[in-house]
Amino acid sequence: MTFSDEQLAGKIVLHAVLPVIKVLLEDDPAFKKSFEGLSGIVQFRAQDTDAPVGAYLVFDKGDFCVEQGIFEGKADLLFDFPSLKSMNDMFRGKPVLPRLGPLFKAIPSRFGLLLKTFKVLLAMKILMPNAQPKTPEKAYLKVKMSLYMVSTALSRMNKAGDPDMKAWTSKQPERIYQWSVEGSDIACYLKVKAGNTKAGRGVYTRRQPFVHMRFSSVDNALPVLSNSVDTVTAIAQGLLVNDGSPEYGGRVGDFMLRIAKLLS
Amino acid sequence: MSKTDSTFSWTIYDANTLSQREIYGIVLKDLGALHPEIVGLSADLAKSTKIGTFGDAYPDRFFNFGIAEQNMFGVSAGLARAGLIPFVSTFSAFASMRACEFLRTDVCYQNLNVKVIATHGGISFGSAGSTHHALEDFAIVRALPNLTVIVPADAIETAQAVKRSMDIDGPVYIRIGRGFEPAVYESEDYEFEIGKAIEMRSGSDLCIIATGNTVWHAVQAADILKEESDISARVLNMHTLKPLDEESILKALVDTRRLITVEDHSIINGLGSAVADVIAGSGKACAFTKLGIPDTFTPHGHPEDLMHNFKIDTDGIVEKVRELLNREFEETEDWEDEV
Repeated sequence: MTFSDEQLAGKIVLHAVLPVIKVLLEDDPAFKKSFEGLSGIVQFRAQDTDAPVGAYLVFDKGDFCVEQGIFEGKADLLFDFPSLKSMNDMFRGKPVLPRLGPLFKAIPSRFGLLLKTFKVLLAMKILMPNAQPKTPEKAYLKVKMSLYMVSTALSRMNKAGDPDMKAWTSKQPERIYQWSVEGSDIACYLKVKAGNTKAGRGVYTRRQPFVHMRFSSVDNALPVLSNSVDTVTAIAQGLLVNDGSPEYGGRVGDFMLRIAKLLS
Repeated sequence: MSKTDSTFSWTIYDANTLSQREIYGIVLKDLGALHPEIVGLSADLAKSTKIGTFGDAYPDRFFNFGIAEQNMFGVSAGLARAGLIPFVSTFSAFASMRACEFLRTDVCYQNLNVKVIATHGGISFGSAGSTHHALEDFAIVRALPNLTVIVPADAIETAQAVKRSMDIDGPVYIRIGRGFEPAVYESEDYEFEIGKAIEMRSGSDLCIIATGNTVWHAVQAADILKEESDISARVLNMHTLKPLDEESILKALVDTRRLITVEDHSIINGLGSAVADVIAGSGKACAFTKLGIPDTFTPHGHPEDLMHNFKIDTDGIVEKVRELLNREFEETEDWEDEV
């Protein structure tokens, strides 16, 4: 099965971008407080060529998760997009107005959910390459969310059957591509094995990473994740240390740039 | 050993052109000049084991016992008790089996300063057949208390091992080949420490742990795997079987989760079994393969052909590594992304 770039971008949005909302809700004190005790289902739905695709956010009194697909019951809020492109464009930071529903029953709790969800979506703009965090706390969030998103997006590209990614993963034995930021708890990884991939959080402890991309600090990770410095320059400048195969590390960098292109 | 290093008469050229036992003979002769307490003992194999080089230089410190290995080992214990340092040379098969009880009870039991140079190890004496193949010596000598067991990879490492054996006040068993082993090292400019494995290639996909003459093949295999398939194979030269470098094994286990051992020895109770003991003790799961001679008596043949037949040469290691990489060792694997 082959996918257009727009379809691939849609899968990345639904599987890799929406889930990093969890970082905001857990690590940003204001959001954490704001969603305490709040429950509700927020559906994102976009029309693809054959059928609608989507994912829904489940807020459950401070807990949060993202489920893929269309909620079987009636969601509390619906962000309905006429096309995948329009949904993707919203996450690309472009002005898009989805159809909202069901607003006819805008009871206070649902209205609160709508406002808070809007705030979250606005806060997600921190992922945009040109978004410059103004505080160390925001910088931490941007780096953490970006790395989490990228590792999941890489896995999703493979699962979607992207030919380049599939060709790259299928030839590899079990390998770990690890990202970490020194002086922080930010760490995630991509596990690859014979065509399979899995994105994970934290430091993989069951074996040595095949490639370990270590940022020396949150501040030094920012220019790389904002695409203002390429990885080769970042390594030369000491912003990033690439332990392991430089060729494979470089290839991961290529895929990361591809993801950035799909989402911009 | 800086005092001795400048005294040795062999050169890098010699190490690359002479066999392990030829280098051994020269190094022992040079050591003899520094240590008058060294004596050489042979059981009618002075020429074959090259201890004759020492005997030619110091005929009054060299003793040929005829084909009487048990007697030779018993006498070596007495000489050691008298303050001498006997270097006892014979074929591995005879040192470990014919003279086993004398090595065990006379030498090891008393922790005496006897150095055993066991030549023609493994299937290196291919044309002589099973009677002269030593496929059990690791299993036997590993089990003898007080005995240090070293299996050098090539001529240079043999020189290192012979010299370093002088640092140990106790019995040492050095197992070398017949000769013609390819050179692994270009010089002595590397850290050789008894009981400490040497990382010949770094890698994280798997680890090949080799000893003796299979180290060269392991390195070649790693290079081929890298070149052909971008497989990152770590290679450890486990030149000391006892004491075993458990730390390096555990690190390789944790780092790669896939280990393969290679040895010119029976797969029973040799290097592979020693590594398996460490793995089992760690409680960590991994994919593991032992390469060696299966539980069989070996045919006659050229050593290279026999090694190929038993898949302990470069081609065999490459083939078995590919199998190992495809082997599942975890019951279930979860490929769901964490979010």
